[in-house]
Amino acid sequence: MRSKSPHQPSLSLIISAALAETKLRLINISRYPGQMAMEVIIPIIFAAMPMLLGQATAGDNAAANFQANTGTANYFAYLLIGASTFTIVANAFWHIAYWVRFEQETGTLEAVYLTPTSSLTLAAGVALYSAVRGVGSALIAYFLGALIFRFNPLTGNLLLALLFLFVGLIPLYGLTFLFGALVLKVKEANALINLMQWVVSLLMGIFFPVTLFPPWLRFIAQLFPPTWMVNGVRSALLGIGYFLENWYLDWAVLWAFLIFAPLFSIQVFRRVEAGLRRNEGIGTF
Amino acid sequence: MQPVIVQNLSKIYHSKQRQGLFKSSRREVHALKNVSLEIREGEIFGLLGPNGAGKTTLIKCLTTLLLPTSGRAWINGYELTKEDDAIRATVGCMLMGERGLYWKLTGRENLVFFGALYHLPPAERKRRANEIIERLNLGEIADRTVETYSSGQKMKLAFGKALINDAPLLILDEPTNTLDVPSARELRAMVRELNQEGKTVIYTTHIMAEAETLCDRVAIIDKGRVIASGTVAELKESLGQETVIRLEGVIPQQASEAVRELSGVSQLAVTAVNGHNLLTIVTPNQQHLLPQLIHTLTTHGAILRNITPQEVTLEDVFIAHTGRTLAEDTRE
Repeated sequence: MRSKSPHQPSLSLIISAALAETKLRLINISRYPGQMAMEVIIPIIFAAMPMLLGQATAGDNAAANFQANTGTANYFAYLLIGASTFTIVANAFWHIAYWVRFEQETGTLEAVYLTPTSSLTLAAGVALYSAVRGVGSALIAYFLGALIFRFNPLTGNLLLALLFLFVGLIPLYGLTFLFGALVLKVKEANALINLMQWVVSLLMGIFFPVTLFPPWLRFIAQLFPPTWMVNGVRSALLGIGYFLENWYLDWAVLWAFLIFAPLFSIQVFRRVEAGLRRNEGIGTF
Repeated sequence: MQPVIVQNLSKIYHSKQRQGLFKSSRREVHALKNVSLEIREGEIFGLLGPNGAGKTTLIKCLTTLLLPTSGRAWINGYELTKEDDAIRATVGCMLMGERGLYWKLTGRENLVFFGALYHLPPAERKRRANEIIERLNLGEIADRTVETYSSGQKMKLAFGKALINDAPLLILDEPTNTLDVPSARELRAMVRELNQEGKTVIYTTHIMAEAETLCDRVAIIDKGRVIASGTVAELKESLGQETVIRLEGVIPQQASEAVRELSGVSQLAVTAVNGHNLLTIVTPNQQHLLPQLIHTLTTHGAILRNITPQEVTLEDVFIAHTGRTLAEDTRE
């Protein structure tokens, strides 16, 4: 028997396989143009609701009250950043769960598992697609919302905000693989996604600072990388203040998440995958 | 080198058996029981058996989708569970037919995408996709989304997908399942052509005639075990002097039970066909048995429409071993 496989692909071919997965999904979504338009509108509507509620309950004092609790009077930008970032986070969970569940049902999950491309490479391709789609929609929604609600979207340190966003994406996708593993295991996506969306929207503080939480809940919220991501983006753009006083300390926390969250999630995902292969198989739904 | 060596492969599933709304019990299903096989280079090897026999489980184990519970196997020289990536790279698979395609993508986009997953360089993917499109006469539909294809066209594309990595071993799981007769014939001709070009093929089917016309050797699987294997001729000869009689008509159960008791009946299987029953009887002495058969059946209320002494087929080999026809679903 041969002991060494001559079928080790080069790194460029592995990256090419991941990019093919990204491209496949972008082609697929381009064939549903209405969905992209909806995705841009959703965060604007999502942010408009608390804006109008705030104005209705606090009237002329809305901005002053908001500043007293959050550190900025620009509640339009604050809420829109929260809603846009939430779109990225919710999409990330949705896309990974949808990848696993939908492809299980259509039979394509088994088809891709028959190829020598590892599930990690496939997942990286799906994550890249999701990030491109989510960040694209969120940025368009933010700038469109700025036009609608008439505020300057380019205040503060835009570069630092983008750094928080992009560094935060990696641990976020790490977490979504944990979620993907759960979907593989329980073979259900919709109820899990619905639950996750509400829990996530509460914990990451899309409409309010998590400093308003009681300490135990704040601790839980701060175990979740998107909480640091959204606060970093807001602090960079609106100057509301970092959790650890300095941007680089908050950023360092995100880097710590970046290292540990994907490693942990990939281990869990692989264990679930191996468990399925031991029993009924990856494609059984 | 033998492309496929399987030694005592077993697979046990654990499934839940529902007992009402909230209760369930754990159940063990022995899908494969010590299966051993050797497939030679350049042959078309048929895996034959009724639905639920374990063919697809065996294929899923050999293609690394499932981990066997015990046993060992080598595919193209690579050991199963230890060198799975190399196995996947050197096998072309058509499992689950048209279900393995992305319907919102065109046929060409599907082929190029799977080419990338098989780690073909970009230019090579496109070249292979074009070659396959030309070979399978998919040119007219290659740039349409798969959702617009007919079932036969989807199956053809799924077959094309199995060729994208130009693997030396092709594994085709019931590839003609949803095809009409001419399309099935065309696909079998392509399999033969690829085999003549040097590819080894594993071909699963529950259609005996398909295996008889296409396969060099076959293994018959039933309830997770290989119950017979060899060339089609060898398997037929294994029945020795046995011959087959088929009787069609309205045959009550007591009549078929009475026939089962007759001396000279080695095996008997009953199938429902077009509102009638078909009795397939394996016997070493056709001439002696026939008058007795007719007498027994008619005295037990059977109305016979057709009596055909026939040459032994692979289906008869299956009946001789199991007492059942291939039409029966044996899923546990």
